[in-house]
Amino acid sequence: MAAQWFIWGWLAAVAIVFISAAAWLHPRMPERYVHVHVWLLLLPGAAAAAGWIGAGNAEAGPWRFDAVSWLVAVYISLLSWAIQRFAVRYLHGDRAYRRYFSLLTWTVSAASLTWASGDMRLVAVCWGLPLMGLVALTALKKEWRPAQFVARQMAVVFSLSWLAVVIAAVWLGTAAGEWQLASALSAERLARLDAWEKAVMNGLLILAAIIPAGQWPFHRWLMESAVTPTPVSAVMHAGLVNAGGLLLWRFSPLFHETWAHVALFLIAFASILIGTGISLVHVDYKRQLVGSTMAQMGVMLVQCALGAYGAAVVHLVLHGLFKATLFLQSGSVVPRVGRAGLRKTGSSWPGGIILGVLLGWAFWQAAPHEPARLLSALLLGASAAVAWGRLADFREGRWMGLAAVAVLAFGSETVRHQFLTLLGQGEATVFVPPAAFEWTVGVLFAMAALTAAWLANRRTSALAVRVYMHLVHLGEPRPAAMEAHPRYLASYLKEGMAHE
Amino acid sequence: MSKSAMPLERLTGESKPTGAEARPLAMLVSEAAKAVAPLWPISAFIARHPWMGLEEQTFADAADRLQQAHGIDLYPPMAVFHAAMAKGEIDLVFVERRLQRWLDNKPLPVRRQEAERMCRALLWNETVPNEALRLPELAELAHAAAWRPAAVRTAGAALHGVSQRLDQQTVKWCKLFYGSNTAPWALPHCELGFYGAWRRLIAADPALSKEERKRLADWPHDGEEALRQALMKLGVQEEETAAYLEAHLLALPGWAGMVVWQSRRTGDELRGLIDYLAVRLSLEWTLVAPYLPLEREDHADIGAALSLLAAWLHWGGMTLEDWRNLSGKEQRAWLAFIDRFWRIDRCHLWLEAWEDTYEAKLKEAVLAHQPMDETKKAAAQLLFCIDVRSEPFRRHLEAAGPFETYGCAGFFGLPIQTRALDSDDAHPSCPAIVAPQHEINETAALEAARPYRRRRDAFRFVGQTFKKIKQHMLAGLLLPEMSGPWLGLHTFARSAAPAWAGRVVRQAEAAAEHKPKTDLSLHRHGKDESSGLPIGFTTEEQVQYVKQLLVNIGLTSSFAPLVVVCGHESETANNPYASALDCGACGGAAGAFNARVFAALANLPEVRAGLAAEGINIPDETVFVAAEHITTVDEVRWLDVPPLPAAAEAAFRQLKQALGEASRRANAERMAKLPHVGQTPRDPVAEAQRRAVDWSEIRPEWGLARNAAFLIGRRKLTKGKDLNGRVFLHSYDWREDPTGEALAGIIAGPATVGQWINLQYYASTVAPHYYGSGDKTTQTVTGGIGVMQGNGSDLLAGLPWQSVAASDRELFHAPLRLLVIIEAPSYYIEQLLDRNEEFRRKVQNGWLRLASIDPDSGAWVNWEAGRLASVQQR
Repeated sequence: MAAQWFIWGWLAAVAIVFISAAAWLHPRMPERYVHVHVWLLLLPGAAAAAGWIGAGNAEAGPWRFDAVSWLVAVYISLLSWAIQRFAVRYLHGDRAYRRYFSLLTWTVSAASLTWASGDMRLVAVCWGLPLMGLVALTALKKEWRPAQFVARQMAVVFSLSWLAVVIAAVWLGTAAGEWQLASALSAERLARLDAWEKAVMNGLLILAAIIPAGQWPFHRWLMESAVTPTPVSAVMHAGLVNAGGLLLWRFSPLFHETWAHVALFLIAFASILIGTGISLVHVDYKRQLVGSTMAQMGVMLVQCALGAYGAAVVHLVLHGLFKATLFLQSGSVVPRVGRAGLRKTGSSWPGGIILGVLLGWAFWQAAPHEPARLLSALLLGASAAVAWGRLADFREGRWMGLAAVAVLAFGSETVRHQFLTLLGQGEATVFVPPAAFEWTVGVLFAMAALTAAWLANRRTSALAVRVYMHLVHLGEPRPAAMEAHPRYLASYLKEGMAHE
Repeated sequence: MSKSAMPLERLTGESKPTGAEARPLAMLVSEAAKAVAPLWPISAFIARHPWMGLEEQTFADAADRLQQAHGIDLYPPMAVFHAAMAKGEIDLVFVERRLQRWLDNKPLPVRRQEAERMCRALLWNETVPNEALRLPELAELAHAAAWRPAAVRTAGAALHGVSQRLDQQTVKWCKLFYGSNTAPWALPHCELGFYGAWRRLIAADPALSKEERKRLADWPHDGEEALRQALMKLGVQEEETAAYLEAHLLALPGWAGMVVWQSRRTGDELRGLIDYLAVRLSLEWTLVAPYLPLEREDHADIGAALSLLAAWLHWGGMTLEDWRNLSGKEQRAWLAFIDRFWRIDRCHLWLEAWEDTYEAKLKEAVLAHQPMDETKKAAAQLLFCIDVRSEPFRRHLEAAGPFETYGCAGFFGLPIQTRALDSDDAHPSCPAIVAPQHEINETAALEAARPYRRRRDAFRFVGQTFKKIKQHMLAGLLLPEMSGPWLGLHTFARSAAPAWAGRVVRQAEAAAEHKPKTDLSLHRHGKDESSGLPIGFTTEEQVQYVKQLLVNIGLTSSFAPLVVVCGHESETANNPYASALDCGACGGAAGAFNARVFAALANLPEVRAGLAAEGINIPDETVFVAAEHITTVDEVRWLDVPPLPAAAEAAFRQLKQALGEASRRANAERMAKLPHVGQTPRDPVAEAQRRAVDWSEIRPEWGLARNAAFLIGRRKLTKGKDLNGRVFLHSYDWREDPTGEALAGIIAGPATVGQWINLQYYASTVAPHYYGSGDKTTQTVTGGIGVMQGNGSDLLAGLPWQSVAASDRELFHAPLRLLVIIEAPSYYIEQLLDRNEEFRRKVQNGWLRLASIDPDSGAWVNWEAGRLASVQQR
């Protein structure tokens, strides 16, 4: 019974935040209230943390919490606080200053409600709200043509995603005769569904998931999303793109067929290649970050495809912190005059590959049965090799630097491991595809890396040029999504800079 | 036809005599290129004004031309004037006076009285009231009288959709080529040059349809040839070519400016522009080929004629009958007259009235009598940069103790290129208009530098590893797991306590980059291989540079025991425009290096001896000390403090004490001007410190916004007077400059820097979308060389919106042209104008304004066009 109170407490905290966001819109509210509002955003996070510790798994009405829901609630609250805190100064002076805070609050709170709901109808409704919030945030610069264009495009694809979730949820609910997510997805009820029904539902859910994750072939909206102000981009890349991973985790019992996993993997793998490629060929920083997000969301979905939902959730949380920071810091990437230069050495420091292989192998051996461990081991080995290679770039402080990198990496791995352990409890029933699949995935990744290295050495070959130009094209906005000069500012001037 | 209404004659080619056919393409390109200015990379932001090639025309004519041909406004819209008037910044008396003078001087097509009535109405009205436009016969009459030829439009611009695509494609190729050194996978074939690379790659570009690519299959491989062919195939008339090319350059003036800057560095400016135009026009042709030949547009603008005619009927007291009675020629002249007035001249009058109002206030402040007793000997003398931000700080510092301050350009007259310790690149640490003559290297003994290098490289190792992993196909995918917790920690810390965490990060960076004691290569030894510049100075040069500066600022005797040479630097976090807040005279970077060089030179015994031989006796106990004024927090940071004798030591201690007080007062003044979330914070110093390190701060300081005047004269004139941080102050004592050479030097160097900065702010304010760089929150740093908006745009050249506007509803900067005030007898000014043709042109054509103060009578002389003409006759 006590567990329920934690849920009601959390909902009350969310309600307070909603009310604060609405009240702040009132012009009578003094500007300094924004500080109060932003600190209130931590309230749901605190309530969720208390719930996580105090209640663990809990249910109340249509709401249902487990470790992942609590974690997501804490994460969303913290992130929303940090980003809005940033926006207090960063967006100051904007015409839509107040509306940004209200909409940001609305968007992220709706997102956290989605993952707290145990009722499919509620999930279906909540799924679309943050997406539409994002559309509204993008459209806030209403005088700027590209922003309007992009907002319209986003509205269209997001509606498609919403529709897919609604259909899947209603179908599942009626077919299973049960709206509670946990019961509807219980083995015995799922057994009542026809194979084709499950297949179509799988397809719908995958479709719903890959759209907000900006996966190929729905990457356009993501590529064109650089029109939003930095804090909105941060929320987008740290929060909303992750929704797909959580959706698949919520419905994971439905994914019992290898083919669905293979299909998901293929889409995600293609997106990783394209996203990475885009971030490599493009030169505007926010576009590089956008490309990287596409690839990282691919990683999250590959982890889902490998049945490693826990790893996917940890990935999306850490990626969120990573990407939010890089976006918020995107003003810092201009090189500075008078800084000491880097040594330009052609030589390489041997042994990176050996170190990488050893470390990767050791990492894999530590827990060979953990899903997606092989993939992580491969990536870790590559990282170690790259870090080792930096020894050639420096002279004096390199060993100290390498030690620092090792310490930092070890710290991060500990955090990741702790997260996984915390989440691991509720996660016994998921379907894990056969080991051969994981090996195939690993080999494909390794081959992709080898191909990339091969192309890197033959940049002027006809093939490399074709790949290059295609990657550029895939990452480019459509003409309507850009404008040579932001004309709306001229109209601001003309309308009169009021002297209030 | 009024002469001034037809500035387009040259462009439209309608009345152009034929015979220009043989002009080579290169010449046409260089003529077109006058409309764009080079764009320096953002890492060393150079405040440059966008119209440097247009100074041969008057400001108003250039405005007219750019507006008609390209729709670019050089004047703020009326709403801005009205807002200024409401704030009391425009006095209507001056509007009236300017209007009268304008009517007196312009040839009028109608009687003076009618013209005046008409102009007065136009001065206040944006549009003709609707009922005046509803007359049925109006359209027909307007059609008959329509006179204005349409501007030359590019083929792409004429087709909706094509121009958007063309811009997008141009932006794409430019960013990939010019930003290629920041892309892990750079544009292939870069070494072939812009056109060459494009030509090789275009066949593989999926952005063009198969058809379009096929069209380019046998396109020339040489840029110039391609440009010629594109012009021919697009059917551009010979006499229109320059205007056609100009329209293309002005479509994306930022990228064109970057092309100019890049190709200037390689020594072949035209080549780069031809390549750029070749790519753009080739693409244009490919895109518009299916629609060719385009129909020539109707060469008259009926809409404009309609409202002009209605204006005559409504305000001019005319009837339709009167109008019909006019001859066709008269009708056109009447329309042209008010057309130009309405679009251009009235804005010019408003602008002048705004400037006059400011000038009147400044004049009052400067000429106000004040009891001054100059008997007290200064404990220390401080040299500050002319930068407008020095003015409040100097004022507060002087109020806090017996200190004298001087103003000079922050590069201290040293035309040097600097190479910081271990730096690969040399930085031209002097104004962009000055070519470096010497290279100065910063060096350190191997032993002393070792701990520094170890520390620095250990830090960088981490950064470099992060970067390389990010760019790796596999490793990059694990980066969130490897760095996410630490980055998250950083973000949460900066959010929870922005001031504290920001300071910790800043201190960590400073600790990592903290240099050991370094030496400067002041003495001539050898040459730099890459630039060919001599390293260091000869003793003679050392003496001359020091002497020149001291003479320029009028500090040649009564030296205090302590002379502080103060460069300046800003301190901001997460700000792509950080260098825009640094010293413009030092090539858009910190002024510390130059300050150190100058102080070190002035302390050399051989320099002292040389100066003594030239009649400047610096006492042995006087010591020059280098320091840096941190503009964001109004602090002085000491750079090189040599051992001080007793008197200097005492002065040093006194100064240090006074600096705290000056800093507090200056910050209090600053906080009153900056916008705050909520109320003005109580502790101005803490708030300034926060702004300097807070990564979310969008307006860390105002930079040089609101700059309006440049005063060359003795500090006596302005001491103790609140000039509101709007005036560049250059110390100058005409009595020390019998030949006028020093004045000429100040005008050619520092004053020109001031003018560039002034017009940079002006342009970024009146056309924030075109000459500014738009909203900071939606910018994306591109290729490390500049910023674009959103998904991509022109490489934006000027200052961001947040640097000139307090909010989306309120401007902060007042777009006024620079008023240069010289304290010297009139014959000095005449001599200056006589000798310096370029400066004279700037004044005459209204690119800056000139006034002088007669030192004896204290009279304020305004050197406007009329007065200038009399000088010419001499």
